[in-house]
Amino acid sequence: MATSEKYAPPAPPSDTVAALLVFTVLAVLIMPTLDVFGLIDHFTLNLWGKYLCYALLALSVNLLWGGTGLLSLGQGLFFALGGYMHGMYLMRMIGDQGQYHKPIPDFLVFLGWTELPGFWKPFEHFSFAMLMVFLLPGLVAGIFGWLAFRSRIKGVYFSILTQALTYAGALIFFRNNTLMGGNNGFTDFKSELGFSLREPATQRGLFIATAVVLIGVVIFLRWLEGTKFGLVQRAIRDGENRTLFSGYATPTFKLFLFVLAAFIAAVGGALYVPQVGIINPSDMTPEKSLEAIVWVAVGGRGTLLGPILGAVFVNLLKSYATRAIPDLWLILLGGLFLLVVLFLPGGLVSLPEKLRGLWQKFRSTPNPAPAA
Amino acid sequence: MSPTRITSLLSVGALALASLVSPARAEETVKVGVLHSLSGTMAISETSLRDVLLFTFDEINAKGGVLGKKIEPVVVDGASNWPLFAEKAKQLLEQDKVAVTFGCWTSVSRKSVLPVYEKNNGLLFYPVQYEGEEESKNVAYTAEAVNQQATPAVDYLLAQGVKKFYLLGSDYVYPQTTNLVLLEYLLSKGVPIENIGGGFRKDASGKIISAGKYTPFGHTDYQQIVAEIKQFSAGGGAAVVSTLNGDTNVPFFKEYAASGLTAESCPVVSFSISEDEFRGLPADKLVGQLGCWTYFQSIKSPANKKFVADFQAWLGKSTVPGIVKDGRVTCSPMVLSYDGVYLWKACVEKAGSFDVDKVREAWKSGVSFDGPGGKVTTQPNMHLTKNVFIGETKSDGQFKILKSFDNVYGEPWLKGKFKK
Amino acid sequence: MRKTFIILSAFVAGFVAAFAETPQALIARAAVAKSEQAQGAILTELMGNADESILPLFDAWRKDRLFLYENPGKPTVAVLLEGAKDAQGAQTAVDVATGKALAVRLAADDLNAAAHSANLRRIMKAILDLTDLSSANPAKKLGAIAAIGQGQQIEKLPALEKRLAVETDPQAIKALREALALVRLRSPDAATKLAALKELESLQSLASTDFLKALIKDAEAAKDEKLLAAARSALQAVERHRTVVDFGGTMFRSLSLGSILIIVALGLAITFGLMGVINMAHGEMIAIGAYTTYVVQNLFANGLALSPFGFSVSIPGLHATGWWRESYFLFALPLSFLVAAGAGILLERGVIRFLYRRPLESLLATWGVSLLLQQLLRLTFGANNVQVGSPSFLSGNWIVGDVLLGWNRVFVIGFATLIVVGVWLVLTRTSVGLLIRSVTQNRTMAACMGVRTERVNMLTFALGSGLAGLAGAFLSQIGNVGPSLGQSYVVDSFMVVVVGGVGDLVGTVISGLGIGAFDQFTQQYSPAVAGALANVPFVGGALQNLAQDSAVFGKILVLCVIILFLQWRPSGLFAARSRSLD
Repeated sequence: MATSEKYAPPAPPSDTVAALLVFTVLAVLIMPTLDVFGLIDHFTLNLWGKYLCYALLALSVNLLWGGTGLLSLGQGLFFALGGYMHGMYLMRMIGDQGQYHKPIPDFLVFLGWTELPGFWKPFEHFSFAMLMVFLLPGLVAGIFGWLAFRSRIKGVYFSILTQALTYAGALIFFRNNTLMGGNNGFTDFKSELGFSLREPATQRGLFIATAVVLIGVVIFLRWLEGTKFGLVQRAIRDGENRTLFSGYATPTFKLFLFVLAAFIAAVGGALYVPQVGIINPSDMTPEKSLEAIVWVAVGGRGTLLGPILGAVFVNLLKSYATRAIPDLWLILLGGLFLLVVLFLPGGLVSLPEKLRGLWQKFRSTPNPAPAA
Repeated sequence: MSPTRITSLLSVGALALASLVSPARAEETVKVGVLHSLSGTMAISETSLRDVLLFTFDEINAKGGVLGKKIEPVVVDGASNWPLFAEKAKQLLEQDKVAVTFGCWTSVSRKSVLPVYEKNNGLLFYPVQYEGEEESKNVAYTAEAVNQQATPAVDYLLAQGVKKFYLLGSDYVYPQTTNLVLLEYLLSKGVPIENIGGGFRKDASGKIISAGKYTPFGHTDYQQIVAEIKQFSAGGGAAVVSTLNGDTNVPFFKEYAASGLTAESCPVVSFSISEDEFRGLPADKLVGQLGCWTYFQSIKSPANKKFVADFQAWLGKSTVPGIVKDGRVTCSPMVLSYDGVYLWKACVEKAGSFDVDKVREAWKSGVSFDGPGGKVTTQPNMHLTKNVFIGETKSDGQFKILKSFDNVYGEPWLKGKFKK
Repeated sequence: MRKTFIILSAFVAGFVAAFAETPQALIARAAVAKSEQAQGAILTELMGNADESILPLFDAWRKDRLFLYENPGKPTVAVLLEGAKDAQGAQTAVDVATGKALAVRLAADDLNAAAHSANLRRIMKAILDLTDLSSANPAKKLGAIAAIGQGQQIEKLPALEKRLAVETDPQAIKALREALALVRLRSPDAATKLAALKELESLQSLASTDFLKALIKDAEAAKDEKLLAAARSALQAVERHRTVVDFGGTMFRSLSLGSILIIVALGLAITFGLMGVINMAHGEMIAIGAYTTYVVQNLFANGLALSPFGFSVSIPGLHATGWWRESYFLFALPLSFLVAAGAGILLERGVIRFLYRRPLESLLATWGVSLLLQQLLRLTFGANNVQVGSPSFLSGNWIVGDVLLGWNRVFVIGFATLIVVGVWLVLTRTSVGLLIRSVTQNRTMAACMGVRTERVNMLTFALGSGLAGLAGAFLSQIGNVGPSLGQSYVVDSFMVVVVGGVGDLVGTVISGLGIGAFDQFTQQYSPAVAGALANVPFVGGALQNLAQDSAVFGKILVLCVIILFLQWRPSGLFAARSRSLD
C-alpha cells in the first residue's frame, strides 16, 4: 500500500486558544442566555446541541484519520453504542409512564415480555449506565483493534473491515429479538436524573454540558498533540514502518488511539440521545459513519477546529437543503464531497489560506503569464 | 488573532445567525405540514403520499379552502432518517406553527415524532397500516389496525380450507406484533401449533415471544427460506402470511416463482404490497396471490372513479420536481391520506376553529366522509371505522376484489384478546 | 325379448347421448350461472368426464377472457372473442356451447367477463387434475398427480391405478406410486394401510411427512402397535432422505450464492488489484447494468417514458413478440457491460485519475460519486423499484432427487464460470492482459518499459466496471432493481475481495465460493445448533438468541470468521507478492 499523505503541522497554539475562548463564551454563556429570554428558539438551541455532539464524533474520526492515518469507516458504531447505553438508563427512567403503563419498556411489552430481562436490570443506576457508555464501546474497539492491528491489517483493508463491523452491529441491533428496541430503537424518554427532558431548562443544561465536554476534549487532544505520545502518533501517520523500525510498538499505540477515539465517539453519542430524543440502529449503518467522514473532510482533517467546523457546516446545510431542495440534497452532498477531496484536501479550514495564496499570486503578477 | 481565524469564526457566526431567522407568516392561508421521506429507502413508498396530499390540497383550495383559508403546504423531507423526522417535526410545530401534519409511514418514524407532538400538543394524521398497541390523543390514526387487515385475511384463508400457515416478515415492530396477534388468533381458531411455520423464540419461562421467520430490511437471499416453505407446503393445504416490507418482496417472489410454488399450491397473502409496490414486482409471477386493504383501485364506485381520474389529471399537469407521471396507481395509504385531509377539514368546520383541542373534540364526536374506499367514520379512540376488502392480484398489477367487510371498527389493542 | 331390450336400451342410450351435453356446453352453462355454488355444482359434473379440449376454455375463463354476452330478451350466452380487432375494437364472437360464431361482432371492453372465485378455480383444478393425468405436458401431469394424492380421496383411486398401468415416464410412475400410497393411507383396511406405509418408506416420499405424522397421532390414540411401528419407520426413512436433500440443496445454494458474489466482486478485485483504488461506486455500476437491462427490456416491448429533471423523454418500443422478445436478455448482457464500462471510463478520467497515490481519498471520492449516481438514477427512473421480468428460458426448474435447481440460478453458475474463464483468458493470453498484469506488479517499471499506464488504467477500470454491469444484469433477474441496488452488495463484494486477496483471480473465486457456502450452511443449520450454542461460556445465551434468526446470523458469523481469518492471512488468500514494503 502507498504511504499516507503528509499534512501541515497543527495550527499555532494562540489561534486555537483564541478560538476556544470565543466558542466557550458563545456556547456556554450567550446562547443559553438568549434561549432563556426567548430570543432564540428552544428548537434552535437543541439543534445546536445536536451539532456539537456530531462535532465530538467528527473529532473521534479525525483523531484516527488526520492524526494517525487510520481511516475508520465505522466510528458511528461507537457513537451509537454510547447512545444506546445512556438510552437504556433513560428507558428505565420512563418507569410506568409509557403507553402500556407497565414498569418495563413498551417495546418489551409488545414483544410479550412480562418482566425485565436480566441484562436490563442494572441500568436503573445512572453510574452503571455511564460506566457502560465507556465500557461497551471500549471493549468492542479493544477486541477488534487488537485483532486488526496485531495482524498488521492496514490502509484500505482496515477501512473496509471497520465498515463491515458497523454493518454487522447494525444488523444485530435491527433485530427485535436482541431486545434493544429493534428497528424502533429507544424513544419517548421522560426524564434524566429527576429532571424532565421536556423542560427547556434541562435541554439548556444538556447543551451546556455538551459544549463543556467538547471544550474539554479539544483541550485534551491539544495537550496530547504536544506530548511525546502525540509525536509518535504523527510519526505513525507519516511513516509507520520507520516508526516500527525505530523500536516503537506501533500496534499498541494504534490500539490505544482506537479505543480513545471510541471513547470520544461514545461520549458524543451519550450526550446526543437525550437531546434528540431517539436512538436507533440506523445510527449504526455504514452511511452514518461515512457522513462523519464527510464532515471531517469538508472541515479539514488533521486540525482540531476543522472537524468541528465541518460537522456544523454540513449539518446546517443538510437541515436547510432537506427542506428547500430535498430532491437535490444528495447530489449536493456528493458533489461537495468530491470537490473537497479533489480540489481542497485541507478542507474549509484551509480555504482562507488558499484564497490568500491565490490573491497574492494574482497581485504579484501584473501581466499574468499564460497558464502553464 | 490571525485573519484566517477571524474569517472562520465570522463565517460560523454568520451561519448561526442565519439559521435563527424564521420565515414570516401569511394570514390568509393555513399552514399544513407534510412530513414524509422523499429520499432514502422509504422514498419509494412515501413520495406517493406526498403526491396525493398535494393533489388533495389543490382540490380543496380550488373549492375555497378550509374555513375560507387556503391550505399552504410545508413539505419537509425526513430522508428515511428517524432522528431527522423528529427534528423536522419540531421544525414544523415550533417554527412553522402548522395547524396539522400529515405524515410518517414507518412506526419508528411515528414513534420518534410522537413525543414532539405530545409535548407541543400538535396533531398528526397517520395513514399507514400499523401494528396497533398505541393510542395517543395527538395522533389521528386513519391507518388500518390489525383487525382491519390481518385477521380478516386469515379468516378468508381458513374459509378456503387452508390448514398450515407459514409466518414470514421483515424484522420490525409491525410484523412481529402482527404475527404474535395472528398466532393467538390462529390458536384460538383451533389450528395446532405445529401447523404454524417459521419458528418460535421463547423467553426463559417458555412463553413464546416471537413467532415466524424474520429477515432484515434489504435482505436479498431467500433461497433457503423458500426451500423451507416448499417443504412446509409439500403436503398441501398451506399458505404463507407475509409481512415482508416493500423492497424485500421482489427477491422473495422471484425465488418463490423459480421454485415452482404457485398461488394454487401455496398462496401468499401479503399485507405490505399495494398497487404502488406492485409496480416494481414481477406481476406476471404473482397472479392469484392475496392482499387485504381498506381500499383497492379496482373498486367500482363513482367516488373512486372520479378520484382516480382527477388524480391522474393532476399528475399530468404537475410541476413538482422529480414527480413520476407514468404508470401511477392509487393504493390504500394514499386514499387514507386523502380521507385524512377531508376528515380534518370536516372536523375543523365542525369545530369552527383550527385549534388542536377543538378539532380533536370534533373527531371524537364522530365525523364521516365518503371516500374512494367507501364511507369512513371517526371513532373516539382516534381510529377509523372503514370497509375492508380482500383482493387477488392480477397480471396487470391490480387487485380483483373477492370479498368485502363493511364498517369494521378499528381496534388497536388486540394482544391477549383471542383465547381458545 | 332380450334382443328388443338391448336394441331399446341402445336407442335410449343413443338418444340420451345425442342430448348429453358436451363439455363445452356444460362449461357454457356454468359460466352464465348466477351463483358460485351453482357454478361449482355444474362444473363438478365434468369431474372424470372431460378431455383436454376443455383446457383452453378453463384457461380463458381464469384469465378473464371468457365473456358473457347479454342479449336483451334472450338468455345470456358465453362467448370467446377471436380474430383481429376492427376499427371499433370488436372481434368475432364464438359461442362456447356450440363452437359456432355469432352473427354480431363484440368488443371486449363492452362485455363482462365470467366470474370465478378461488373455490371455483379449485374445482376447475380438480377437474383438470384428473384430465391432466393423461396430459402430454409432464409438469402438468406431475402437478395433477400430487394434488390428487394430497386430496386423499378414495374414489380417485381407480383413475390413478388406470394411469399407472399405462404410464411410461419414470418420474410420473414414482409420483403415481406415491399418490396411490397416500390415498391408500385412508383406506379402512389395515393391511392396505400397512402396505401403503411400506411403499412410502421405500419411496422416501417427502410430501408424505404431514400425513405420516397425522397417522402416527391416530395410531397412538388407537393404540395400534403394528401401524405405529410401520408409520414410525416410514417417517424415519423420510427424515433421513430429507437430511440428504437439505444438504444437497444447501450445496447448490452455496454454489449459486458464491457465483453471484464472484461476479459482483470480480470487477472490484481487478480494479483494486491494479490500482489500489477501492471503488465505492462499484455498487452503482451494478445498478447501471441492471437499469440497462430494464431499458432494453422495455425497448423490446412497449417503449419507455422517463422524466429526468422535469424533461419528458419518450423512447418508442419495438413491440417485439415471441422468441424475438424473449431474447432481449441476450442483448441486454453485452449492453450492460458496455454501458457500465463507459461509466467506468468517465469515472476514471474524471475523478480517479487524480487520486492514484492516495488510496484512502479515492475511496472517499468514489463514495461521493456513488451518492451522486444514486440520486441521478432516482431522479431519472424514479425512486421506485422498476420491474424486470425473466425471459421464459430462465424461469422454471429441474428437480434432481428432490433437490430443486432453479434455471436462473443454474444460468448464473454457468455464466460465472464463463466469466471467470473469460477474464482469466484475457489476463493471461492477450497482450492487453499482459500489460494489465505488468502494471499491477510494478507500475513504475512498466512505465519505464514503455507501457502507457494511463491507457492501461482506463482499460482496467472499464473492464472492472463492465463486469459490475454484467453482475447487475444478472441481479435484475434475481432481486429488485432500484436506485439503491448497489448498496445491498457493496459490503459483501468488499468482503470477498479482502478475503481473496488481489494477487490472483483464484483468490476471488475461492473466497466467493467459501463465503457463499459458509453463509448458506449457517442459514440452514443454525436453528438446529442453536440449542447447543447455549453451552458456550459467557456468551452462550446471546449466541443462542442470535442463532435463532438464521438469516442475520449467517452474515454476522461470516464477518467474525473473516476477521479471524485475516489474523492468519492479513493480505487475503492470494496476496500480490512484491519486494516493496508498502
